[in-house]
Amino acid sequence: MQSKMKESHPILEVKNLFASTDNLPILKGVSLTVYPGEIHAIMGRNGCGKSTLSKIIAGHPSYKITNGDIKFLGENINSLEPEERSQSGIFLGFQYPIEIPGVSNLEFLRVSTNARRKFLNKEELDTFDFEELVKEKLEIVKMDQAFLSRSVNQGFSGGEKKRNEILQMALLEPKIAILDETDSGLDIDALRIVASGIKRISNAQTGIILITHYQRLLDEIKPNYVHVMSDGQIIKTGESDLALELEKKGYEWTDNFIKRPK
Amino acid sequence: MEIIEKIKTNKSIDNQTEIQKICLDKLQSSPLPNLRSEQWRLSNKSKLANFLDYSVNENNSKFDIPYPKNSQSTIRLIIGENCQIKLIKKYYSIQQLSKDELQKYIKEQISFFNQNENWSDLLNLSLSCKNNILGLKINGSKIPPIEIFSHGSSNSLNAKTLIVFLEKNCNVELLQVNLSEDNSSLSQSTFFCLEENSSLNHGVVSYGVNKSNLLNSLNVIQQKNSEYNLGSLHFKFNYARFEIRIKQSEGNAKTNIKGMQITKKNEQISTYTKIDFDGPNGFLDQINKSLADDKSHAIFEGSIIVPKIAQKTDASQLSRNLLLSNLAQIDTKPQLEIIADDVKCKHGATISQLNEEELFYMRTRGITLTEASKLQLSSYFQEIISFIPVAKDRWDLLDKLLNEN
Amino acid sequence: MVNKNLVKDVVKEPYKYGFVTDIETEKIEKGLNEDIIRLISQKKEEPKFLLDFRLKAFKKWQKMKEPDWAALGYKKIDYQDIIYYSAPKQKEKIASLDEVDPKLLETFDKLGIPLTEQKKLTNVAVDAVFDSVSIATTFREELAEHGVIFCSISEAVKNHADLIEKYLGTVVPASDNYFAALNSAVFSDGSFVYIPKGVTCPMDLSSYFRINSGDSGQFERTLIIAEESSSVSYLEGCTAPMFDTNTLHAAVVELIALDDSSIKYSTVQNWYAGDEEGIGGIFNFVTKRGKCLGKRSKISWSQVETGSAITWKYPSCLLLGEESVGEFYSVALTNNLQQADTGTKMIHIGPKTKSTIVSKGISAGNSKNSYRGLVKMGTKATGSRNYSQCDSMLIGDQASANTFPYIKSQQPNSEIEHEASTCRISEEQLFYLQSRGIEFEEAVSMMVSGFCRDVFNQLPMEFAAEADKLLALKLEGSVG
Repeated sequence: MQSKMKESHPILEVKNLFASTDNLPILKGVSLTVYPGEIHAIMGRNGCGKSTLSKIIAGHPSYKITNGDIKFLGENINSLEPEERSQSGIFLGFQYPIEIPGVSNLEFLRVSTNARRKFLNKEELDTFDFEELVKEKLEIVKMDQAFLSRSVNQGFSGGEKKRNEILQMALLEPKIAILDETDSGLDIDALRIVASGIKRISNAQTGIILITHYQRLLDEIKPNYVHVMSDGQIIKTGESDLALELEKKGYEWTDNFIKRPK
Repeated sequence: MEIIEKIKTNKSIDNQTEIQKICLDKLQSSPLPNLRSEQWRLSNKSKLANFLDYSVNENNSKFDIPYPKNSQSTIRLIIGENCQIKLIKKYYSIQQLSKDELQKYIKEQISFFNQNENWSDLLNLSLSCKNNILGLKINGSKIPPIEIFSHGSSNSLNAKTLIVFLEKNCNVELLQVNLSEDNSSLSQSTFFCLEENSSLNHGVVSYGVNKSNLLNSLNVIQQKNSEYNLGSLHFKFNYARFEIRIKQSEGNAKTNIKGMQITKKNEQISTYTKIDFDGPNGFLDQINKSLADDKSHAIFEGSIIVPKIAQKTDASQLSRNLLLSNLAQIDTKPQLEIIADDVKCKHGATISQLNEEELFYMRTRGITLTEASKLQLSSYFQEIISFIPVAKDRWDLLDKLLNEN
Repeated sequence: MVNKNLVKDVVKEPYKYGFVTDIETEKIEKGLNEDIIRLISQKKEEPKFLLDFRLKAFKKWQKMKEPDWAALGYKKIDYQDIIYYSAPKQKEKIASLDEVDPKLLETFDKLGIPLTEQKKLTNVAVDAVFDSVSIATTFREELAEHGVIFCSISEAVKNHADLIEKYLGTVVPASDNYFAALNSAVFSDGSFVYIPKGVTCPMDLSSYFRINSGDSGQFERTLIIAEESSSVSYLEGCTAPMFDTNTLHAAVVELIALDDSSIKYSTVQNWYAGDEEGIGGIFNFVTKRGKCLGKRSKISWSQVETGSAITWKYPSCLLLGEESVGEFYSVALTNNLQQADTGTKMIHIGPKTKSTIVSKGISAGNSKNSYRGLVKMGTKATGSRNYSQCDSMLIGDQASANTFPYIKSQQPNSEIEHEASTCRISEEQLFYLQSRGIEFEEAVSMMVSGFCRDVFNQLPMEFAAEADKLLALKLEGSVG
């Protein structure tokens, strides 16, 4: 299976990406290529730029790309709006899903799903058909229907918020999903539910990037590649055993790999 | 001075009611409100002048209500058109106040007036003739919702007065609608007296067209154990001023207020509220929202007054404001004046634009910026609109607002 | 069971600094006119530009009306019944501290501000002002080594006239308000601070103001200039003897912060507040304002206001420079018939400016304590933010707490957030503390101090302890 991948076209190519916010450089030359069916893990200390990378791929307006490209299915997406990226199949699972008081979760999910369906030239769903679809997907994340009538993420527990993210991923059927610390703040049962959800949604045509601190999510979902980030750069790339080694030796060990300008 | 001359020339002295004479007399000493005072200093002077610019209209003007047709389930009254009402049913009665009752009550109210604070009421009462005053006393239960319309017709200055007594133990839903045509001024003064154990769900929806002006004054007296809920919405006025004065005369009452004003173009809409707790155990929960776009100006000034007698008052006032344009302006001033020590009072104010993180979150789910903004606005509006009685079932206010914003 | 009256008793505390120093003073006659102003200027041997500044201010003042604030009720001030210049008699020129009248040194000693070489405070340079004149400034040589100028404003007028002429009245124009105009016309002394480019002032600077005469007003003027990339922390303390007349104090403080500089200005104000019947006490009408002129400059005001019969004071920031920061941290305690009307103005003019307001008002007795503030976002203040928090604590059912925040925005890409609340010391809280073995008095003072914590944390070390003590003192007393 691994050997086959390289014959297809990459889903996502990040090439020598530099980005900053408020004139403060955050990414300092990141390159990353994801092929269909691949699972990549990005690890690193807090503040290394891994969350920023995910936000930039999703098009957060606070960050400015100062150099480099992001290509999605061969097209440069640097200047696409966040919604255009989402509609075309890029999904970002938030580390801290945003609470939106007053906006009903069901309505939010429906508008969002229809935006993606419209892009895919699929028929948009009315409330009834959509409820049917959601019920089906709710089962994947073991969520109760009561969640639908509440405001988006408002008053959700940490685990419920993360499951709501995975529910959205299931509805949007993205080509690539970037999951930013989806495992943080989850107890072991919730982690299993989330992990099995991710596995059920992904297939040989989709790519996944897992951003995480810990090994435990990677025990559930085995990555093909592990990247270690530090100070806005990927300083080491390996296969899944790199994560295990990292767990054992700690991040100090990776400090040795930092390329220091002479 | 002009305004007084205008009222005087409009009719002979003999034709004036006693109330009109008293108010005119008071206006004589201050023909305009003190524009330097806190209550008026932000008011746009030329817009106020424009308000007074039209000639006084005392005729009954028929008009079409653009919104839902008369329904069996509500009682609909139009001030100035069908002021006669006498409904005596099994469970309730709605009757017109007698001339004497009206006179007595208004005179008593005037004695409490503060010249500057109640300038709008003085103007109203010196203008509104017999036909344009509606006085009701309501009692009983299972009362159908009541809708009361006031109308400002084009090229004129209109004054309508509404006085309602809610007798003991009675509870009512009442929606007041102020509709203004182009180039019109409407002065609406409303007086409510809520007797013991009564409760009123009051809605105020005021909307105009391009060049409509409105001075809307609302005076509520709450006796003990009464509950007053107000949901209000003001939009599309060249100039509108909504003054709310509520007095919990013996404390021990509940007041909930959710108001909203939307300004666009060159409009100015302001809300002034003053809540007096004249007894212990009073409760207030107030939120006022403004949205200002284009070159408009939205103003909120609220004051909560808790004297020594008002121990155990629990009052909260929030001012939430959205500023959507570089040329628009928002002023807000929530004030607390407290002398009692065993009270829970808080207030808060924010001015911001739509929440960017929320917008981004929705956009990463494929929802366009326009749609995401709409979703946010609708949740912003929804909280207020769902609090306006009667309207929420029969009027599609939210759609109307969203389509215009 | 806790008796409500007890809490009230706790806030009674006699004024410790009420003594009068018996010293021969030189006073000019009562009253105010052009000749008096010329006389003050002549006594201080001032250059012409300053006399012109004074006379112009006087003309403006004559045309102005005394402000009429709804929340402040006080007897009309007779401006002709005040002495505008009063100075302890001493030798013409003082070469060193040894020549200062020992009575003066003793006075400051008693106030806890020793000035003599042997006893002076170690980490703080002090400028001591007695009635209208500056008596002594410590650590001058040490500061001079760093290029820091710290002296009385009269001295600065003589030795650094260029700086005075350039900056005086640029932050608070003479016509700003009634009391600022009066001060501009008659100001006697005050402190001057100049921190040169790139210098972090090696120690805290402090002025100590003492009103001694009962019939003279105090009109000090302070000017602080922080050049690029410099920083300074300035402390100000005030006391006055007990007189049964009201003494007028109308000061003006101007701060100027250039690029990347920071000024921290802390005040502990403990002027005589009058007695329980409200007789006597200082009328404290002060205009304090800072201009964040430079990019990334920062001005931080912190104040603990416990004294004065009436306080009328709004230390403010004009945030002009991009990314400049303004802060206001205030504790105001009023008791008996004291009235405090205090707050701040944060005027956001430049982009990405930030301001924080934390105000804690404690009212006891029959006092009135009002917060009055203005936050304004101008049309160019894009990306700016303000956060304000105003809390009031009421002790007893005769005291009043008011909050009047004015909030104005003309910039959609900015955020303003204001929160206010009131509370009291609840019986449950007191009971809880007492049931853990804490004395009643201490429990009250613990809670008041906890209520003020956010502000005390902002005070320099030297002051934080003093402020806590001062509050505890004011709250200490006979328990039931």
